[in-house]
Amino acid sequence: MPIKKKGTGLTAVADAWQLADIDVSASYPIRPYTAVMAELAKRIANGTMQCEMVHGEGEHAQFSIAHGASMAGARATTGSSGVGVTYAFETYSPIAGSRCPIQALVGDRTLDPPGDFGSEHTDCLTLRDNGWIFGWAQDAQESLDNSLMYFRIGEDPDIMLPQIVAMDGYFVTHIAQDYIMPDQDQVDKFLPKFNPKFRLDVKNPVIMGPQIEPEMGPPLEWDRHVVMTKVKEKIVEVTEEFGKVFGRKYAPFVEEYLTEDADMVFVLQGAHAVTCRSAIKYLREAGFKIGLCRLRWFRPFPDTALAQILTKFKVAGVIDTGTSYGAPCSGGVLSTEVKAAMSEVAGKPIIQSFTSGLGGETITHEEFFAMAEMMKQTLQAGKIIQGGTWVNFNDYHEGASQINAAKHEAAPSK
Amino acid sequence: MAVAELVKSIAHTTDLRDTYVPGHRTCAGCGPALAYRLVAKAAGENTIFIGPTGCMYVANTSYACGPWAVPWTHAQITNGGAVASGIAEAFRMMIKKGKIQDKFPNVIVMAGDGGCSDIGLQAMSAMFYRGHKVLCVMYDNESYANTGIQVSPSTPYGATTMFTPAGPAIPEAKKHQMKDPMPIFLAGGHPYLKYGATASIGYPIDLMNKIRRGLAEDGPAFVHLHSPCPKGWSFPPERTIEIAKLAVETGMWNLYEVENGDWAHKKFSVMPKKLKPVDEYLQTQARFCHLQPEHVAKIQNFVNNRAKALGMEVPLPPAQ
Ligand SMILES: Cc1ncc(C[n+]2csc(CCOP(=O)(O)OP(=O)(O)O)c2C)c(N)n1
Ligand code: SF4
Repeated sequence: MPIKKKGTGLTAVADAWQLADIDVSASYPIRPYTAVMAELAKRIANGTMQCEMVHGEGEHAQFSIAHGASMAGARATTGSSGVGVTYAFETYSPIAGSRCPIQALVGDRTLDPPGDFGSEHTDCLTLRDNGWIFGWAQDAQESLDNSLMYFRIGEDPDIMLPQIVAMDGYFVTHIAQDYIMPDQDQVDKFLPKFNPKFRLDVKNPVIMGPQIEPEMGPPLEWDRHVVMTKVKEKIVEVTEEFGKVFGRKYAPFVEEYLTEDADMVFVLQGAHAVTCRSAIKYLREAGFKIGLCRLRWFRPFPDTALAQILTKFKVAGVIDTGTSYGAPCSGGVLSTEVKAAMSEVAGKPIIQSFTSGLGGETITHEEFFAMAEMMKQTLQAGKIIQGGTWVNFNDYHEGASQINAAKHEAAPSK
Repeated sequence: MAVAELVKSIAHTTDLRDTYVPGHRTCAGCGPALAYRLVAKAAGENTIFIGPTGCMYVANTSYACGPWAVPWTHAQITNGGAVASGIAEAFRMMIKKGKIQDKFPNVIVMAGDGGCSDIGLQAMSAMFYRGHKVLCVMYDNESYANTGIQVSPSTPYGATTMFTPAGPAIPEAKKHQMKDPMPIFLAGGHPYLKYGATASIGYPIDLMNKIRRGLAEDGPAFVHLHSPCPKGWSFPPERTIEIAKLAVETGMWNLYEVENGDWAHKKFSVMPKKLKPVDEYLQTQARFCHLQPEHVAKIQNFVNNRAKALGMEVPLPPAQ
């Protein structure tokens, strides 16, 4: 029987890993993701799970250990946060390039400086060009469910790609919530045993990762790109099957909220969707015809789904919870990608860039209201009045008020 | 420790199957390639090799053509020890759970001196510390060879490399004495690392038996394997073995084993009756041809001190 539990996104993923009967997991401490490894360690110590936990000497080693385990044919996991994610950077392309479907949990954390524990998506987004499949969960349940779906998609013989179950640090990793831990039988029905076509096997020797002829390289790289289009098909198929087996239905790519009659939408990913939905209720009362589109996947990027969905609206306000200094239109990575995805689409909305929730701050109702107000100006003017805006501090924040006052003093004409 | 079945003579090795076979593009006279062949022969067929980036990856697998009859995988130059840890633990756990029927394989990392004692030291040290059943062979060609011969921690004082040319301001070329991985790994800091040895391709039976002793361990093992490189050291390819032997005869290389983690009582497997002057060795390689007598004296001094520190009781040439 599925069990009703109270736990965090991290315990929920530990549940998924237990149900998936992982063989090897590689750890290294960094907040906030760390607690998933502490949870695994407990379960291994008390005999609930049979898994070898290897204490890596750093994140680079962590990902390498999982890589080795996967080449040997094991189901392997690891994870990290913030600068830990970037420390492992060298390993991402070799893991994806050798088509090893390990799973990593990233609990987002701001990169240093300023040594902030809070969530920003920048850590995970830095590795977007390396061939991993990933997206953000908005709560504990979705983290668990994503973990199972990602194993299923990543280990599919047509795909064979590593995955990241991304979640906002603190909001998802640490807030206790109700969720359902599925039954082992359900999981066994949904997720076949990992059975790679090639592994390190002395009875069937293979050479993995040789140097190749120069002209062999680009086709292999192109294949890594092409497989991403197949991932999109798998996502649709697997999300639907997940719904059938577990009774929880997800939109494959983009979850819509109050969009039927909307002329404006927020576009974001991850946990801030929860506050966004409640802000939208107030905005609706105040007469805003506004809704929400929450992306469930970042790689592969859901461009086809967005092209169909966003054309229904006049203004889309993309909220980045991360930084990309000097990016086009003063936006972040998400806004740049949404704009690129929509660039050729006829009847596309005006796409406005916001950056908010930096340093792990909650994006408050007031901040959503402020963004909605700016989007309304855009709607009325039929063009962007204020490009790339950082909506980052509340007025009640003393430091922010000082910064704002200084800003106005420096540019009084504005 | 299980008892290793030892190789008795070269004649005996002809019964052993080669699993490092033709199909590579190493230079003529390549010491590391010969090292690979002997290691593979000693290890046998139930073996998996991990090859961090270096000559023994690039020259062995160029154009998708590889010389192994056993499974081999690339690792980054930085992470051979970590990848091997994952492989070893995956086998252990999958066998324990009954997911596979394999016999636990020999897991061998063949890492260059750059990849093992410089950029990859952390991954090796941590692998030894955690006690995985992995043999790390550091084949030492005394440079970052694959990138075109640059200085590594193993490059001897006084050798020219692309990064340490000799010139009026730096007449001796490389200024630093080399780093010695044996005491770093084996002098007591890695409690699970019980077996370590230095070996040389000039002494193949000794080498193969050290590989077998390392593989017989329940945990990790380390073999530091001297492998002359004609391209990097500038000598004719037919002199590889002669130079390997001369290194031992002059004390530029020492052959010993550390058993049961007992660094204080290391066993010398080959002990010359007396050490020949280092100059005899230096003369064989153009990388040393710029050296002045005071530089040669410095090298002799270093070699003498190392011999004493290791506890070699052997007459030494004068250092001046
Ligand atoms: C992270 C990283 N830095 C640098 C390199 C470039 N590189 C390729 S091969 C090589 C030399 C390796 O030297 P060593 O480990 O001594 O092995 P050898 O080539 O001498 O056999 C280097 C530095 C690399 N592949 N990866
Ligand atoms: S450069 Fe040296 S180590 Fe590399 S293949 Fe040539 S001889 Fe061998």
